[in-house]
Amino acid sequence: MKVKIEVIAAPGCKNCAAKQSELRDVAASLFGEDNLIWREVNVLDELDYAVALGVLSMPAIAVNGELRFSSLPTRDHFRAALRALGSR
Amino acid sequence: MHTIGKVARMAGVSADTLRYYETEGLLAPASKTTAGYRLYDNDAVRRLRFVKHAKACGFTLSDIKELLALKRKDSACCEDVRSLVIEKKLLIEGKLEALRAMSRALDGLIHSCEGGRNPTDDCPILGALDVSLREASR
Repeated sequence: MKVKIEVIAAPGCKNCAAKQSELRDVAASLFGEDNLIWREVNVLDELDYAVALGVLSMPAIAVNGELRFSSLPTRDHFRAALRALGSR
Repeated sequence: MHTIGKVARMAGVSADTLRYYETEGLLAPASKTTAGYRLYDNDAVRRLRFVKHAKACGFTLSDIKELLALKRKDSACCEDVRSLVIEKKLLIEGKLEALRAMSRALDGLIHSCEGGRNPTDDCPILGALDVSLREASR
C-alpha cells in the first residue's frame, strides 16, 4: 500500500529542512522507499490545497490527504502516529 | 508629549481604545503627569499606527502582540514574521471558503423556490431546511 506524506511549509524555512529529512527517513523505514510518496508542498504555490486540508499553522503534515500534524513532530511521535495509521 | 485625547484623535480611535490597548499590553504611555494623566511620545504614536494597520489586515490583538514581540526580539528574522502573515492568510482563505460554501447553499435554496404567495407550509426553502435539520439531528 502506498502512503502519501505531504509537508506543507513556507519556502525558506531553514528550521524545517533538517527535521523533514529525519521524518522522511522514519517514514521510509516504516513503509519502504517504494511505498512512500513524499511531497514537500510550498504553501504559497498551493494555497488552495493547503486551505482545503485545513492547514492553519506551518509546517504541517498531511498523510494520505488528511491533515495529521500542525507542527513538525518528534521522530518518535511521528513513528508512533504512522504505525497507528498503518494498523487501521 | 501628547495627551491621550490628542493621540486618539491623531489615530482616529477613542481614548477608551487606547486604555484598552494599555491593559492588553500593546501600548503604554511614556509617562504620566503628577495629576495622573497619560502622556504619549512619538514612539507610542508610531506603535498605535502599527496596531491600526495590522488590525486592518485581519490580525487580532493577540497576533499584534506577537508581531510586536518579534519586532523587539533580536533572534527573530523576517521569515518568522512572514510565516505569521502566511498563517493569517490561510485562516482568512479558510473563512472565505466557508463563506463561499454558505453562499452556494443559499443559491440552492433560492433556486428551489420561485417565491409567490403560496402558504409557508408549502415553502420549499423551509421544507429543505427542515429536512437538513432532521438529518443533522440523526
